[in-house]
Amino acid sequence: MFGQLIIEGLSIGACYAVFGIAVVIIYKTSEVINFAQGEMAMISTFIAYHILNVYGLPFWYAFVGALIFAILLGVFIEICFLRPAKNPSVLGLIVITLGAEMLLMGLAGWKWGAEQKDFALPFSFHKTHELFGGMVVNDWAIAVFVMAALLMIFLYIFFRYTKLGVAMRATQQNEHAARIMGIKVERVFSFAWGFSSLIGALAGMFFAARSTLDPAYMLEPFLRAFAAAVLGGLMSIPGVVIGAGILGLLENFFGFYWPAWKPIVAFLVIVLVLCIRPSGLFARHYEKKV
Amino acid sequence: MKGKWFVISAIVFLWVLTFSAVPGLCNPPGFDDKEIRIASWGPLTGPAAPWGAVSRGPAVLAAMVNEQGGIHGRKIKHIVRDDMYNPAQTKVVVKELVEKIGVFSFVSGPSSAGGLAVKDYLAQNKIIWVGPATSVKEYVFPPQPYLFSVYPLYEDEGSVLAKYVVEKLGIKEIGVVYQNDTYGRNGLDGVRQRLSHLNMKAVAEIPVEATEKDLSSHVLKLKNAGAKAVLMWVNPTTGVVLLKTAATIGYKPQWVSSNTLSDFALMNKISGGLWEGVITGAFMLPPDSDDPRVVKYREAAKKYAPEERFGVFFMAGMMFAEPLIEALKRVGKNLSTGAVLKALNSMKGYQGVGPKLTWSPDQHQGSDSVQIWKCGPGGKTILIQDWTVNELAHWKKK
Repeated sequence: MFGQLIIEGLSIGACYAVFGIAVVIIYKTSEVINFAQGEMAMISTFIAYHILNVYGLPFWYAFVGALIFAILLGVFIEICFLRPAKNPSVLGLIVITLGAEMLLMGLAGWKWGAEQKDFALPFSFHKTHELFGGMVVNDWAIAVFVMAALLMIFLYIFFRYTKLGVAMRATQQNEHAARIMGIKVERVFSFAWGFSSLIGALAGMFFAARSTLDPAYMLEPFLRAFAAAVLGGLMSIPGVVIGAGILGLLENFFGFYWPAWKPIVAFLVIVLVLCIRPSGLFARHYEKKV
Repeated sequence: MKGKWFVISAIVFLWVLTFSAVPGLCNPPGFDDKEIRIASWGPLTGPAAPWGAVSRGPAVLAAMVNEQGGIHGRKIKHIVRDDMYNPAQTKVVVKELVEKIGVFSFVSGPSSAGGLAVKDYLAQNKIIWVGPATSVKEYVFPPQPYLFSVYPLYEDEGSVLAKYVVEKLGIKEIGVVYQNDTYGRNGLDGVRQRLSHLNMKAVAEIPVEATEKDLSSHVLKLKNAGAKAVLMWVNPTTGVVLLKTAATIGYKPQWVSSNTLSDFALMNKISGGLWEGVITGAFMLPPDSDDPRVVKYREAAKKYAPEERFGVFFMAGMMFAEPLIEALKRVGKNLSTGAVLKALNSMKGYQGVGPKLTWSPDQHQGSDSVQIWKCGPGGKTILIQDWTVNELAHWKKK
């Protein structure tokens, strides 16, 4: 049972991690917490659902279609919602994302209705593989582990060895200096939003396959992923992954031994980390000199 | 001098304000010679919108009555308002309906919190409310003079379901997963009541929050405790997550649920077929039944609300409105709130498509029985036990 709890904790943790990375990518470039992240993923998943059920196309068409839509949606929100804000403060931008969240949820309710829908991935949770000591792992969990690992490798290479990745880091550290160095900061922001939306959509599809698809289904995973990001450090991608793993394990062990306490573990973690180490467990702390 | 006049004016103003706020004093009437206005609130939009169907169902019953000339010459006008499952909004829409439009009676109305928010207001304004679409003990214990409940208590349902599992299925290892609120705890109380009567105890009792999406640890706990049947008082998404999670670890107990998850067509669809074999309580005849009354309702829904799916929630809306229509018929031409109250209070063994209802001035919990259904292939309803009374019910012994 102990081993199974670890597998289950790590698999849901990996899903939080992927979604948490989506939150961190926007934060890393603009220091904005995107509260519409969950609803952007929800709308993209609904697009996949629509392609599958209305147009009757195979899953991979729906998958790619949803990811393309997710990129366009992220770019659209950045250009049409955030960019027009004059002299925006970070708080102002966060409020705009809250508005976008409500708008997207309303839009999904209007278009697809509030009734829950079934969304299945080719990686079925029905198909289980026996490991050792009676432990089992299912295809859904394996797919999540693989996705999280590939994403980590890609992001490591991207931020370290590509011009765009370096430009994103530079923009986050000092937007003004980045402009002087010739970085087109607006493009960097648009890219970050599109990229983050794509990663969010990936996680969104996995979450929907595990529960149901409806306009509100990403509210709770967003809070968990946000807690994981705060725990690991909002600036650190490996930190988010480790934070999400810790959170998944904590929640599963609490859920097993003290079920009534499970729902509040994530929020206790946020409060504790913010009190003891505000920048998160693994984030490097930058101090600006006057 | 000015100060004195100010004080006098303020007192007069407050007096006028207080006087005008006396409940029911200035409200428009809920009926005239041509029509009787009945209303429902419900979540037509927002996350709980699937339950909004229960508020739209009464409109079809009203249309059926109107097609036959109405009740003693008066047509029924059904008005529905969206409260978005938000108690603050329930207050707003109910106030508007009572004070601006004029409503004779409310029917249906899901959301325990929304109902509790307006229960006293409706009583103060002497507005009848028949068939709240949820089971809340506070609605009827102690009896509220204007509120008549149709919905069986979750406690009674829990007791009947536990009895079925132990005695008919022969399963002694019972686990319970319950939503950590009044709804879930009432169901748990019913299971405990039955098991204690049988000198048994549940092997696991696990609370869940309505929003939780990862229930791996809960399912592992059930498996570890050796639960061979799991009884649930949860919402549809939680129910689906529980079954999906159990499938990921190859855990296959007999799942049993409250009537709230008895919309098999929906549940089977959103669970990817996992709902087949699940047993639930039920508070009315199945919507896909061949019973002539249900067939009539199904045909009417096709005619008057073709855009609606005739599922459990929609038909339940019609069922909750049935006793009010019956009472209006019994009253005759001289319609008044007092006369309808008298008709409702004297209803004994009335049965539409729901359970048998009996109300008296001292008892406004109308039903004490549930059916038991099983989800068949493709979400088809299989009736496995007809109306069953909870003989252990405390409230009937009072």
